[in-house]
Amino acid sequence: MLTQLRKQLFECRVLVVGAGGIGCELIKNLVMTGFHNIELVDLDTIDVSNLNRQFLFRKEHVGQSKAKVAKENALRFNPDVNILARHDSIINPDYDVDYFRQFTIVLNALDNRAARNHVNRMCLAADVPLIESGSAGYLGQVTVIKKANFLYNNYGETECYECQPKPTQKSYPSCTIRNTPTEPIHCIVWAKHLFNQLFAELDEDNEVTPDAEDPEATDANKQIDQGSDSNLKISTRPWAESVGYDPQLLLRKLFQDDIKYLLKMDKLWQKRKPPVPLDFDNLLEGDSCFINDNTVLKDQLVWNIHECVQEFLHSVTSLKKRLEMSKSYLIWDKDDDVAMHFVASSANVRAHVFGIPLKSLFDVKSMAGNIIPAIATTNAIVAGLIVTEALKILKGRLDLCRTVIMYKNNLTMKKLIIPCLLEKPNKGCYVCSSKPEVCIRINIDDITIRHLGEEILKKRIGMIAPDVEVDDGSGIILISSEEGETEDIINCKLSQFGIRNGSQLKADDFLQNYSLKLKVIHEYVLMPPRLLFISSSKLTIVKSIIFTAIL
Amino acid sequence: MSGIATGRLSTERKLWRKDHPFGFVARPMKGPDGALDLMNWECVIPGKKGTAWDGGYYKLKMIFKEDYPSSPPKCKFDPALFHPNVYPSGTVCLSLLDEDKDWRPSVTIKQILLGIQDLLNEPNINDPAQVEAYTAYKENRVLYEQRVREQAARMRPV
Repeated sequence: MLTQLRKQLFECRVLVVGAGGIGCELIKNLVMTGFHNIELVDLDTIDVSNLNRQFLFRKEHVGQSKAKVAKENALRFNPDVNILARHDSIINPDYDVDYFRQFTIVLNALDNRAARNHVNRMCLAADVPLIESGSAGYLGQVTVIKKANFLYNNYGETECYECQPKPTQKSYPSCTIRNTPTEPIHCIVWAKHLFNQLFAELDEDNEVTPDAEDPEATDANKQIDQGSDSNLKISTRPWAESVGYDPQLLLRKLFQDDIKYLLKMDKLWQKRKPPVPLDFDNLLEGDSCFINDNTVLKDQLVWNIHECVQEFLHSVTSLKKRLEMSKSYLIWDKDDDVAMHFVASSANVRAHVFGIPLKSLFDVKSMAGNIIPAIATTNAIVAGLIVTEALKILKGRLDLCRTVIMYKNNLTMKKLIIPCLLEKPNKGCYVCSSKPEVCIRINIDDITIRHLGEEILKKRIGMIAPDVEVDDGSGIILISSEEGETEDIINCKLSQFGIRNGSQLKADDFLQNYSLKLKVIHEYVLMPPRLLFISSSKLTIVKSIIFTAIL
Repeated sequence: MSGIATGRLSTERKLWRKDHPFGFVARPMKGPDGALDLMNWECVIPGKKGTAWDGGYYKLKMIFKEDYPSSPPKCKFDPALFHPNVYPSGTVCLSLLDEDKDWRPSVTIKQILLGIQDLLNEPNINDPAQVEAYTAYKENRVLYEQRVREQAARMRPV
């Protein structure tokens, strides 16, 4: 039995997608286990911030291809292995279904959902088992995805990566951000918008001034004397320019005048704690309870309100100088100290005004930059679990394969690792079911062909290069992935091509070998952010899936 | 309208994009509204190497009917060609494209185009469709070849 497995390890071909946090650990495990033919694809280059955990890389490798350096260093563990490293994106059309077909197993060590969706579809199309993995802080997960094989359908069918809907990145309603924040993150998002309003390229969608059209406040709004508050109607940038970015005046407008204006929309505050405009007189004497604690790092200290105000004034002054020097606009970057101090201080002053707990610079940075801490130990455990699942697949024992979840808070049950049976596929899955279909709720007089292609099929459905036909026998092709074929009509509305409520479209991705039927439900009301509703006919909520991590 | 024809044409398009002979083109044409129309294709057939047709790229339209693939598409050179089996209108006369002769629903677009490419240099003299090329072919082969070469030179891509 063992010798047979050894032979299989020698003969099989594995594809590793990603040479980052999990990838480095995984490649090391593979070469040490005796896998002999490994292909490794990663489009990324090595960054300094990778070095703490991606142990195949050293300082001198910064800027080089992850795949190539990982290969060289893994070969030092075991020089007898064939590794083919490709510095390339797995979404590249060269990696077609035939490419995937040459592998015995595909192992994902990815950090983003778009690539995971794509590899999932490629493996389904090529009928190659896929091991999917992810980590986020102390959370880790490994699972096996295998398409139904109609010849041996005893164990050969599992959920695919897209059988369960994944939560999309959270966005906050604009009135929460502009009028009624209740959590630190609301203030941080507001502060990022404020940075953009003041210093970056103008984006009218991310206003920071009070929103008088808040549906909750519309009645109250009528009672407000518009005349005396006319300066509030001006958006932030022209106002700031008119006062020459004077930090004191900005502070007063943002945290006193705007707040007073908000208070006039009294309907908002009937069931909420109203904000308290910044009290300038008591600021300077602010309770300076400086903690002299050497165990806390500087960036992890929470500034008091006095310090916040000082930081705000300082950062506005230096950003203003930078804006004048650059003669164009600034770009927000979490690793830009001044920009980060600006966001942290303005978020905290706003939080103070709204009675929301203040946060340290470190916390604000991780929230503003959407940083999920990557933990080397989690990655190492996940990579180990991938190999154990891979060995089961090689032995032909898919029945033994498990979804394994790693969860630190479970330590009370004295279990770090929880194996679960693999789920059966969702019969309504819009990717792996036999006749995938979704409903889209759109206004056909409003949605353009471009929107259908870019926003719906690429961003929401995860296609790479969609083709779309009207599925009524007329043979009309709305979108062609061949260059230039349908460019002329890209800005036309769907209704111009006979699409009606109940029409069906056939979308097809040539590379992914994936066809999807779209049922159009005409939405009569024009929703300002064109809302899209995708329903897979039956959804069963199983366990939470966390494949969304940065590795 | 039934979806059988468009379903098949959609598959044909996929097959073609996956693999097609070098130099050939076949794609759905733009309809009046700007969208592509699967029922009408525009194609290009290159003349075979080493023949008098070499160097020319011959444009052809393929028009499908609703009962395709029961019936073959109409294949029409545009502009019309100097060739014994091409009608003055440009329509190709070929047994493969005749419902009552060799057409079978399983014939693919690739097979049709390769069949027409073969026909270029191997005209079927028992089934003439235009007088000019037919008589030239029958009576003065040198002149015929000369005219075919001139035609090929005219039909080089710019």
